[in-house]
Amino acid sequence: MSVYRQLATRLLGHDSLFVRRTFGGIHPPAFKQHSLRSRIMDTPIPAQLHIPLNTTQRESLSMLVAIGERVRKYQKLAEVSLGDDHGTSLPVHAPTSGVMRALALAPVADHESSEQLCLTLEADGRDEAIALRPEANAAIERLSGAEIQVRIRDAGILGMGGAGFPTAVKIESGNGFGVELLIINCAECEPYISADEALIRERAEHVVAGAELLRRACSARRLVIAIEDSKNDAIAALRQALESETVLETRCELIVIPAKYPAGSERQLIECLTGVEVPSAEYPTGSGILVQNCGTAHASYEAVVLGRPCISRITTLCGEALLTPKNFEVLLGSSIDFLFGLCGLKQADLSRSVLGGSLMGRELASTESVVCKTTNCLIAAGRGELPAAPAEQACIRCGFCADVCPARLLPQQLLAHCKTGDSIELIEHGLLDCIECGACDYICPSHIPLVSAFKDSKLSIDERQRDRQRSKYWQNRFQFRQYRIKKDKEQSLASRAEARKSSLEPIEQAASEAAADGAGGFSKEQASREIAAAVARVKARRGASSSDKDESK
Amino acid sequence: MIRSATGAPFQHSGNNISSLMLSVAFALLPGIFVSTWFFGFGILINIAVALVFALVAEALVLLLRRKDIAPQLSDGSALLSALLFAIAVPPGSPWWLLAIGIVFAIVVAKHLYGGLGQNPFNPAMCGYAMLLLAYPLEMTGWHVPSEAILGPLAVDGLGVPSAEPAREILNPLSLGAFKQSLLLAFPFAASNPSELGEFIDGLALATPLIEFKMAGQSALLAARESGNSLFARDSETAWELVNIAYLLGGLYLLFKRIISWHIPVAIIATVLGLSALFYSPGGAAVYGTPYLHLFGSATMIGAFFIATDPVSAATTRSGKIYYGIIIGVAIYSIRVWGSYLDSIAFAVLFGNFCAPLLDHYCRPRIFGHPTRTTTNREPAEP
Amino acid sequence: MLPLISFWPVQLALVAVFCYAITLFIRKIVLVALQQLRTQRSLVTRINNVLPQTQCGQCGHPGCLPYARAISSGEASNKCPPGGKETLFELARLLNEPIRELDPAHGTFKAFSVAVIREEECIGCTKCIQACPVDAILGGPKRMHTVIESECTGCDLCVEPCPVDCIDMVAPTAVPEHAILDSRSVSVQKSGART
Repeated sequence: MSVYRQLATRLLGHDSLFVRRTFGGIHPPAFKQHSLRSRIMDTPIPAQLHIPLNTTQRESLSMLVAIGERVRKYQKLAEVSLGDDHGTSLPVHAPTSGVMRALALAPVADHESSEQLCLTLEADGRDEAIALRPEANAAIERLSGAEIQVRIRDAGILGMGGAGFPTAVKIESGNGFGVELLIINCAECEPYISADEALIRERAEHVVAGAELLRRACSARRLVIAIEDSKNDAIAALRQALESETVLETRCELIVIPAKYPAGSERQLIECLTGVEVPSAEYPTGSGILVQNCGTAHASYEAVVLGRPCISRITTLCGEALLTPKNFEVLLGSSIDFLFGLCGLKQADLSRSVLGGSLMGRELASTESVVCKTTNCLIAAGRGELPAAPAEQACIRCGFCADVCPARLLPQQLLAHCKTGDSIELIEHGLLDCIECGACDYICPSHIPLVSAFKDSKLSIDERQRDRQRSKYWQNRFQFRQYRIKKDKEQSLASRAEARKSSLEPIEQAASEAAADGAGGFSKEQASREIAAAVARVKARRGASSSDKDESK
Repeated sequence: MIRSATGAPFQHSGNNISSLMLSVAFALLPGIFVSTWFFGFGILINIAVALVFALVAEALVLLLRRKDIAPQLSDGSALLSALLFAIAVPPGSPWWLLAIGIVFAIVVAKHLYGGLGQNPFNPAMCGYAMLLLAYPLEMTGWHVPSEAILGPLAVDGLGVPSAEPAREILNPLSLGAFKQSLLLAFPFAASNPSELGEFIDGLALATPLIEFKMAGQSALLAARESGNSLFARDSETAWELVNIAYLLGGLYLLFKRIISWHIPVAIIATVLGLSALFYSPGGAAVYGTPYLHLFGSATMIGAFFIATDPVSAATTRSGKIYYGIIIGVAIYSIRVWGSYLDSIAFAVLFGNFCAPLLDHYCRPRIFGHPTRTTTNREPAEP
Repeated sequence: MLPLISFWPVQLALVAVFCYAITLFIRKIVLVALQQLRTQRSLVTRINNVLPQTQCGQCGHPGCLPYARAISSGEASNKCPPGGKETLFELARLLNEPIRELDPAHGTFKAFSVAVIREEECIGCTKCIQACPVDAILGGPKRMHTVIESECTGCDLCVEPCPVDCIDMVAPTAVPEHAILDSRSVSVQKSGART
């Protein structure tokens, strides 16, 4: 297919959007069937919610409610500023009604940070909500892109795929470049995670409507939904939704990509669909492409059409230590203990709890962590599931790692340079392009912890960059000091010359006067008179300055 | 020390080194079986002796290096080196030849460079090359196919060998031949010198590159046409069948994705191309047909098993192709214009010399980078 | 029948391929060399950019630039303790030399520390102010002196001139702004990996 199609594309201008085979990738067993056996369930309201605020610094918060105040569901609690140049901020809303109890740091199940400031909400169980303002269909059709963006921002929507980047900001950055293509990423390629698949299976129409809204928000010409070929139910639901088009008029294409890990990684997905390789140091918006997760699309639908801010998300709860793994619609701020309890946790069997999938996930230190907007999956691993890695052996240079790397790197050479700490070679071999997907680690017969080594080296390189910046700063200060000393010296020389000149002037004047007076002839009395006058002047000046000194003391 | 070990990923494919090595050893079995069928137990005795000495040598070296013995011995790399070495060394070699060679290979060529994964040269080929240089006579006594082991000298009643020694040609798989092979390997076990049998030393060749005899014809096809059994011991199909068996083993490895196609295809294509270029049927200088070069010698085992040893080969895809080409050129030129009889060992070692350079210059284009970055010695500046 | 190689088209083709391969190889080398010549700064500048710029003098030279000059004239590059292992490594790589251990005669690797003046004992002599190479000490004659911690490089040149020995080198308390680790800054690619 590919070669002829590519030729046809170039020669006849046919559609450039088709599925290409991307390099590398692995096919791990997916383990998704258990959590997909049942439909998405709502959780009961927990007694306490610790709502994460996505920051650790109080200065970036502007609280809209006080401690002890009663709040209702969907009420805006705070605005968290993102600290960028535009002063953008992200609002946080109450997932249920209750009383605000505290604001403190708490462990959060986030991919990047382990602790965030959280607002503790003691739920009263009544779930009283403020009135939402849904939009009528006709009104939605008339909404402009900017208005949609505002509603998305006001609902506090972030990238639900795990990256957590504020959606409104992403769309806005795209506006600057001009987005041609919006891709909705439904390719949930990592094992264990089935949240997106469950969402699409049951709410495909809302996802499609949300996708269309996002398309209008970023003014993209084309809208594509990409999904893996292993998700048959979801594909059928999407096809049906695209045909029925109940909510909005959409111009959307569905493309089914071959299931492979990591097909859902943003850059690899773009390469698979369009053949464009986003340049290394740039973002996809620079190439006119925007990628959004389907959970984000669904949340956008809820925000614009139903007027509902982002207070919950679909999270997969799975693992052998749970009696009934399933997908839940989880309120933000619910603790993991509570969620595991809902699924029937077999405490004795629990070996570890992991946030995310089995390949890129993070082990959670405690099950007291709470759910945030990016918590896509929680694995309660049973005995023998997700075991600890066996002892590391020497690299046998088999090259399997290079065969699976989606970024076409050479993990073998990267490892060798990580061990010597050669950051120049590391950068040349493309360490900064590593997406940390873990495919090389998965396939390595020597069980070498490659991803950890690369992460470590990235931290070292970062530290070294900062050291160099600091040294540059010191060099500037040193050079300025040398310049200052030189200037000071020049200035003091100049002022001394000035002073000497001003003290010599009267003498010269007198000499010139005397010369003008006396017709030539040097008389002794005149000379001694003038000398005495000069001495007297010097004495007078000395006396004046010493009296000045006495005064200043 | 890894500072940021998050533990991810938590899932693993289940690959491990020992299963890889055992798969490769398994792939060698067809070739070994066919070899034994035609040439007797010599090869098996070689393997046994080499294995024992390899494992003992590795254990001792690991002890000296103060490393854990059990995990390293069980990873199968010594096993594989011993197998390849034993297959390369002619059957009927004395035990001490094998011992010296394999101990050199394991201790010097592998462990003195750092152990598993660190050796720049293929250990089995290092051992073989060392033996070839140090004991040229013992190493070039290969046997001619379709003939077998000569039994012991006939002696008269007083134990004196007769003037005209009549020796029995033994069926390679008979018990008598087995005893003779053992005696050849362990000459000190012979009660009197006349007991020692030998292989028929028809032409002194390392492998029967009998271009003169075959002169461009496939013995297999000849056997087909004449209606003889392909597997008859006195046919001349032996070496071709051995090579086909190794080819099958190599294809199995390709199918299981244990090796990639780049090195074998490059070697075979280069040898094929060069021999096609220089072959002249009936010409004055006899270079041998392409078929001969591929199937009448050790090219198949060299291409699939010896050159693909991952530790000493080039690692990148395009590097592997150049590596294969270099080895192919070396194989052909040493074989045809050099004074050594078969050239796989030296060709592979020559390729090993070039592998680091190839690794450095033949890197694939990284995703998102416009072209391959040229090597730039400038340190990264703020 | 003659072998293929004896026909002149075949020979010509082989020679052409061979020449083309050699040309590619030479072209690559020439391009790399030209690129390096174009973008190269002087050796002294490059060495100086690797040195930590503390101007502490532990290498025996009165500053980092004089030491950089000395290195480019052949002096050993393993005399800089504040630079840490990274500087040793990068200098060795820059000069194409084997990596050596830090010369013990010039000090040992120590954790980063900053100077602190014990204000009760300070007599306001300005000797430390004159010694500080980055003007990190605030003060004037007969006025209280104090070290601005965020600007201090830890070179400890101020310790010796102090006549009352009131300066200590301690671990820094605040992390300077330009050194705060932001987890998002580690790799652009990380955010692209989420499904």
